[in-house]
Amino acid sequence: MGERATAKVIEDQALAWVARLDREASHAALEAELNAWLEGDSRRRGAFLRAQAAWMQLDRAGVLGVSEERETRRPSRRWLVTGGAVAAAVGGVSVWGVARGVLDARIRTVRGEIRRVPLEDGSMLAVNTESQLKVALDRTMRRVDLERGETWFQVAKDMARPFVVVAGDVRVRAVGTAFSVRRHERGSDVLVTEGVVEVWSANAPEHVRRLSVGDHAFVSEAMGPGMSQSAAAEIDRRLAWRGGDIVLDGDTLGDAVVEFNRYNTRQLRIEGPGLASEALVGRFRTNEPEAFARAVAVTAEARVLMDDEVIRISRL
Amino acid sequence: MDDDRRRVVAWVGRDILPHEADVRAWLRRSMVPVNEIEDIVQDAYCRLAGMTEVGHIANPRAYFFTVARSIVVDRMRRARVVRMETVAEIDALNVVWDDPSPERITAARRELERVKGLIAGLPGRCRHIFELRKIEGLSQREIAKRLGVTETIVENDVVRGLRLILKAIAEGEGEAAEAIRTERSHGRTRDRKGH
Repeated sequence: MGERATAKVIEDQALAWVARLDREASHAALEAELNAWLEGDSRRRGAFLRAQAAWMQLDRAGVLGVSEERETRRPSRRWLVTGGAVAAAVGGVSVWGVARGVLDARIRTVRGEIRRVPLEDGSMLAVNTESQLKVALDRTMRRVDLERGETWFQVAKDMARPFVVVAGDVRVRAVGTAFSVRRHERGSDVLVTEGVVEVWSANAPEHVRRLSVGDHAFVSEAMGPGMSQSAAAEIDRRLAWRGGDIVLDGDTLGDAVVEFNRYNTRQLRIEGPGLASEALVGRFRTNEPEAFARAVAVTAEARVLMDDEVIRISRL
Repeated sequence: MDDDRRRVVAWVGRDILPHEADVRAWLRRSMVPVNEIEDIVQDAYCRLAGMTEVGHIANPRAYFFTVARSIVVDRMRRARVVRMETVAEIDALNVVWDDPSPERITAARRELERVKGLIAGLPGRCRHIFELRKIEGLSQREIAKRLGVTETIVENDVVRGLRLILKAIAEGEGEAAEAIRTERSHGRTRDRKGH
């Protein structure tokens, strides 16, 4: 085996590739070099996939990173010296002068993917499953087009540049605040987690409604915002997706199934009368519809049949 | 990376890596020589790398074990050596993957904590760099500027940290993450007690 590279050597090369690809922007020459390396030994593709997967899974740490723990964690001395901007990020962000993050871009998540995207102005997006956005930041305005799906926005304060989310005809305007927007066929759900936002529809621009922390409203594309409701107790639950969770609290099985199916290729189906209206309570992982189905089987006295594509829940 | 590839890489990170330590433990129980285990695991990832679609795989853990088993069987055939222990373990394989022990379910639930734990377990500057890159979302270049070091140093620390994380994954994440932490607080001379 002397002339053959050991698994260890290949692993080291794969790690170097992952780090390098993370540092350099992708370009043709780099891709060509990577492909040449991959083709040099049939085992390299495996080592590269493993290293790349380990690197990518760490992105999950960031989805909730800002709002959780970091606030309570005591910075070490080194953090105090070098981590000024980090502390600013925790405190609500206003002094991130350094160019960082996204300035102009299209962002797209695939089914089951939840991604956190920092913007150049210090704002932060948590993008839910199957969503599509266009970000455009310039000197007078910060605009994000939510073309599909759902996103939670934590907006950095900047009085000179309003932050506007465009979801079809629906508009949400914020200065420094945090809120989520989820697009539906005829309008969007807006949920405010911090500060105040203004919502309206381009079709009824005179009808503007202010929503403050804890408020929830459906904004219709045709008519503009409906009555706002206080959803303070609901917010953590409805935004649990940022940590990869689905939290049910008296929701019907029918609604829960629709929610799970947003995240998974393997779809849940309910069969038989009455079952869909069963109420459920519990916390589940978005990517574990099997565990959910098993829990339902026990609590609702149902039967679960699984094949590769579908998980059927039916009456016993 | 196109969408198909990204989906496969994300799936491997989320649904395959967490079972790697168990697959390795099973290979050891199957009396596969230690120097071959590394090759078999790498070979298993090679086969996964050939996939463009993963949505049809209902049980990734079982799939991972099945791939590893077929590699072991191929190797035994080629070497014309049959080890009785290996055959026995291979026959009992479905017991291993079909057993979603409570600890395992809990482990899957704590995906986020697990990933954070992997980063928290890294030593000094390495950890700091991973936090800035993965939690704060800074690029390697921005990190270099922030810390006042060269980009090469940052890139090398990414390699070093990721190597420790892969080691943690191979050894069983909880234990190994703890091992790294112990090593950090007690100095590098302290030996980790395996079991």
